[in-house]
Amino acid sequence: MWFQLEREIPSLTSDVLFDFGFISISSSTLLIGVILVLLLVLAYRVRRFSIVPSKFQIVVESLFDGMYSLLDTITNDRKVTEKIFPIVGSILTFIAISNLIGLIPGIEQLTWEGKELLRTPTSDFSTTFSLALGTVLVVNFISLRKKGVLEYLNQFFNFKGLIQGFKKGIGPGLVSVVEFFVGVMDIVGELVKVVSLSLRLFGNMYAGQILTIILLGIFSLALPSLWLAMNIFVGILQAVVFASLVTAYYMLAVGDEEELEKEMVS
Amino acid sequence: MDAEAAALIAKGLVTFSMFGSGIGEGYLIGKALEAMGRNPDMSGVIFTRMIIGVALAESTAIYALVAFFLI
Repeated sequence: MWFQLEREIPSLTSDVLFDFGFISISSSTLLIGVILVLLLVLAYRVRRFSIVPSKFQIVVESLFDGMYSLLDTITNDRKVTEKIFPIVGSILTFIAISNLIGLIPGIEQLTWEGKELLRTPTSDFSTTFSLALGTVLVVNFISLRKKGVLEYLNQFFNFKGLIQGFKKGIGPGLVSVVEFFVGVMDIVGELVKVVSLSLRLFGNMYAGQILTIILLGIFSLALPSLWLAMNIFVGILQAVVFASLVTAYYMLAVGDEEELEKEMVS
Repeated sequence: MDAEAAALIAKGLVTFSMFGSGIGEGYLIGKALEAMGRNPDMSGVIFTRMIIGVALAESTAIYALVAFFLI
């Protein structure tokens, strides 16, 4: 009993607890709700911060400062960081909390009518996929609003370059045909961003859970605790990676022109 | 050969993709450490970019892992 504990390997999809019409509430949705309530309480506490800091305030402020300097290293510009921080910072906080909340003992063992009640949201593919889809859509929308419809479509369907290339002659025209198809391939690139962002987060968290269960079968006294300690690191790292990749995609979609303008001025 | 045996062979083949991921990550971290050694002032910036790169290189292995569980 000390050495081998058998547990069921969690399924890929989470259990559906009850249905509201066509919306079904599953175990991961319930934990997302709990996390959102926690964040609301936290927001209420943060609003009441004073100039003389308490211990809790110091912790929150240093975390906030850390996130800011992390984004600064990617954007290289405080103004861009301030603009993008509300969305990226909240994604980072949400993913970090939902990765770590499963490590609280007993929280994933709660059951209700034979189904698990709470499940780590990021180990359910629907959560990570919708997060990734939402962020990529927001980044594309910001880029659309900033560049205008024509220039945004010109990224993908470069007809202007095609016409200009053929005016110069056959040789440059053929090169511009190749460039046109490279532009069309960028649409696939946008879709791959969604898939890779969501699969990375899901794969890490789900594999973490499965490895914990495998280790419980080998030496259940000591090995799982080591791996769970590692999971704290992995959970925070994956949240940081998700947030910094979203920032990098934002910079790719929007930041190019700003940097070009700066170089022109200087 | 029955279907179960083929699935097990496929599971074994899927793990081969981890070769590439390991090589890529090693190369990336080695180059990043080299850059940090040459220019220690920039090490903070290089470290965050290295972490992003490692996460990108790792994603192939993660796809393989997901495929492993799906088979």
